[in-house]
Amino acid sequence: MKNLRKVSLYLLALMVFGFASCKSEDPTQENDGEVITDVTLKFQELNASNALVGSVLSFKASDPQGIEVGKTPTIQSISLAKGKKYQMTIEVTNAIKGEDITQEILTEAAAHQFFFLGQVFDSSFFSIQYADAGGVALGLKTIVTVSSSTGTNNSNMRVVLRHDLNKSFPGASSPTFANFAQAGGETDLDLTFPVILN
Amino acid sequence: MIQKAVMLCLGMALSLSTLSAQQCDLVLRGKVLHLENNQPIEAAYVWLPESSIGVATDANGNFTFRNLCPGKKTIQITFIGHKEIKQSIQLSAGTSNLTFKMEEEAVALSGVEVHGHREAVQTTTAVSTLYGEALLQSRGESLGESLKRVAGVTTFSTGNTISKPVIHGLHSNRILILNNGIRLEGQQWGAEHAPEIDPFLADELTVIKGAETVRYGPEAMGGVILVNPPALPTTDQSKTELNLVGHSNGRAGNVAVSHSGGSNIIKGLGYRIQGAARRAGNVRTPQYFQGNTGMSEVSGSAALGYSSTKLGTEVYYSYFTTQLGILRDSHTGNLSDLLEIIENGAPFTQADFTYTINNPKQVVTHHLAKVKAHYHLNPSWKLNFQYGFQQNNRQEFDRRRGDLNARPSLDLELFTNTAELFLEHNLKSQWTGSMGLNLIQQANSNLPGTGVTPLIPNYDLVNAGVYLMEKYLKGPLELEAGLRYDYRTLSAARYIGNDLQEANLNYQNGSAFLGGMYQLNANLAFTSNLGTAWRPPNVNELFSQGLHHGAAAVELGDADLTSEKSLKWVNSLEYETKRTSIELTGYTNKIQDYIYLNPTGETFVSLRGTFNVYEYLQADAFFYGFDLSGTYNFSDHFKGYAKGSIIRAKNTETNRYFPFIPSDRMDWGLSYEFGKDTERQNRLTLSQVLVAQQSREPDFDLAPAPPAYSLVNVGFSKKIQLFKHDFSVSMQVNNLLNTEFKEYMNRFRYFTADMGRNFQLKLNYQF
Repeated sequence: MKNLRKVSLYLLALMVFGFASCKSEDPTQENDGEVITDVTLKFQELNASNALVGSVLSFKASDPQGIEVGKTPTIQSISLAKGKKYQMTIEVTNAIKGEDITQEILTEAAAHQFFFLGQVFDSSFFSIQYADAGGVALGLKTIVTVSSSTGTNNSNMRVVLRHDLNKSFPGASSPTFANFAQAGGETDLDLTFPVILN
Repeated sequence: MIQKAVMLCLGMALSLSTLSAQQCDLVLRGKVLHLENNQPIEAAYVWLPESSIGVATDANGNFTFRNLCPGKKTIQITFIGHKEIKQSIQLSAGTSNLTFKMEEEAVALSGVEVHGHREAVQTTTAVSTLYGEALLQSRGESLGESLKRVAGVTTFSTGNTISKPVIHGLHSNRILILNNGIRLEGQQWGAEHAPEIDPFLADELTVIKGAETVRYGPEAMGGVILVNPPALPTTDQSKTELNLVGHSNGRAGNVAVSHSGGSNIIKGLGYRIQGAARRAGNVRTPQYFQGNTGMSEVSGSAALGYSSTKLGTEVYYSYFTTQLGILRDSHTGNLSDLLEIIENGAPFTQADFTYTINNPKQVVTHHLAKVKAHYHLNPSWKLNFQYGFQQNNRQEFDRRRGDLNARPSLDLELFTNTAELFLEHNLKSQWTGSMGLNLIQQANSNLPGTGVTPLIPNYDLVNAGVYLMEKYLKGPLELEAGLRYDYRTLSAARYIGNDLQEANLNYQNGSAFLGGMYQLNANLAFTSNLGTAWRPPNVNELFSQGLHHGAAAVELGDADLTSEKSLKWVNSLEYETKRTSIELTGYTNKIQDYIYLNPTGETFVSLRGTFNVYEYLQADAFFYGFDLSGTYNFSDHFKGYAKGSIIRAKNTETNRYFPFIPSDRMDWGLSYEFGKDTERQNRLTLSQVLVAQQSREPDFDLAPAPPAYSLVNVGFSKKIQLFKHDFSVSMQVNNLLNTEFKEYMNRFRYFTADMGRNFQLKLNYQF
């Protein structure tokens, strides 16, 4: 009987300890790290000798809360002149955390790649080449040539950022590779800009 | 086609069961139990002096005498350390069923055996147990895979490394898993969260198919799985078991050791230690490797127990840790990614074999400690106490940019305390039963620093329950009934952006069951169990809000969900003769306010692309089905078996089908045993698994149900004596024909074919 009392006392002590230590932590605010809130396409005209001329045209797509149900992103229309050649650079930021994601993409150039699709390419209104430093196929910097004769003034361009793909997959070296999914990886960005051609 | 074959075979197996009544052939059946705890006594010797025949009881305490002549007989039962039973019985027509309870000998003779105190399942509902040879065959597999051997149990899996057991169409939080008597509390809500337990710690896996809420607490709506380690030795005897398993597919290796022993100084003191490790690389389908599907797992357990005539105590600890690679291509960025890969039907990423596990992956660790004690107040009354502590850590890693890649996107820590106090009585009259109190306390925290808004909030949960059960046992009849009341509180909190979201919720419910078993004649027994169960909505169902990474789905919880309530009726018929054994189980399960994830049909657009939107809804559901299993001995050498199951589940409000309900399936096989001596130590087996296409699909699914398939498996096992101890070698080939197939219950059917041919080598040595 004495033993029993001792045992039950130990058990009780253990239980009290267990139950007392069992309390959830207070929740903390978590800043979503990988969220992209703003994608800016910057165009600057290139003259016949491939020198940058004129002012920079910026067109932005933004979703201030990142991915949040019920909110849709606002996307500005890209407005460019027919028959001209532009250098396009892409800036990607997380405004919630004040992060420049462009730099991260550049650092991980081997695992990222932009693809450019949509009617502007299907109807040959645009032609595009990668122009990133070091000759990597990345797409943060490209050369876009707008055709001088387009059947319509209103069109669209789809911008896709793939992460973790096999960059040496046959066809993946083209910036307009439509079967990018076959190269593996996943999509980080997929948005369509309206395009107005003057 | 295969569906028809399943039906046909089930029909044939049924027709085998035509009963043959023989003249003047009396049968005496009985059960021998420990008086103090109602546990079955194995290897008690039952002797009929007049007929000069005797038998030993089996693991369930059962014995059978056949071909007896009518008249008065003496029955004598002996078991070491217990008072002998000598009783006179009158045998007349048909079958006699008797229950004997043996009382422990009070005199402490030298060499008296203090038996181990192992909990036996005392239930009138359908129970299936995997042990011995069948368990040996399953060594090296996960809990879910192992239990597929039981008719009516399937798996809900995510690739080949993550599988959750499904009992009668229900899984996750609708079934309970007990690790040595303690409810396993992990993050069971997730479809891709496998139970944190290694079946190597058990020498017995039991599936209870009835609603056992009264006995085990809320959520045991579909059934209960008991993972039971062997009883601790109480005498100075030691046993060591060594298992080695190798698989060609995934080049997996598995080693497991267990050792148990007893003290010769302190009588009744015994211990057991056990450990297992497993490593596997990328799984191969018939055509290609699945990228990043390797896994590693380490587990172990230790137990120390002391038993005296009145007091029994046990301390137990088990540890489990695993790292699971998730098929790279199953993690998609948005809906168009997902649809592309579904259309392709196979992963885009070309993979080679590797053991390396990259993101996406899961790292899960589970600790479970328990203390158990019981005290015999007198020969009829026993007081039990059990306390368990569990810690579950789950980290899920996604493919992310920069430093975030090294940080988990989901980092959960779950503490659970369970305490139970119950009083059991086992009267010399026909009544046995128990009453008790039951407490569960749980605290879940999201560890900061993931850089992702948590999928589920931090929460504290307390559940208190009281119950009462009583069983009446007389001859061929067993009757059982029970009542329970539970109260649960849940307080949850989380930040979404800058908004603090808080909720305090209460749930309460009563549950009850009524069950019975009747031995109709020598060969036929009938059990029936009607039980209610309830399940409060889970935290993810209440509070999910946001993107389910990888699934291209936005899931929306609903804090106003109410508890699910179910009424399950399980009937089973067991027929057994020398040559034939058949078990047929039929059930219905009516669930009120069944919670399910419903596609809204809407999509949600973001910079990342488009996602499907799902919401948690409630509707009344009706499940019913049949399980059939049987064996037939054609001769001493040649045996056959067949088993199959059919499940139907409908939303009775909309008359539509629910997703992920197992399709009709069966498997059958033949075995041939041969060898020089009478023990026939060589065995050759051939089996075939037939799975029908799920034609009862929900209105919305990302991809149609995969076609029916058939797999052929062969095996050879040999038992030899090595240094005077049992050594068994077994070779199996699963999916011998390297058939390419997809299983409806595997969530990765959207992305990849299932596992191809797999050679397995299993060695088991016991000394």
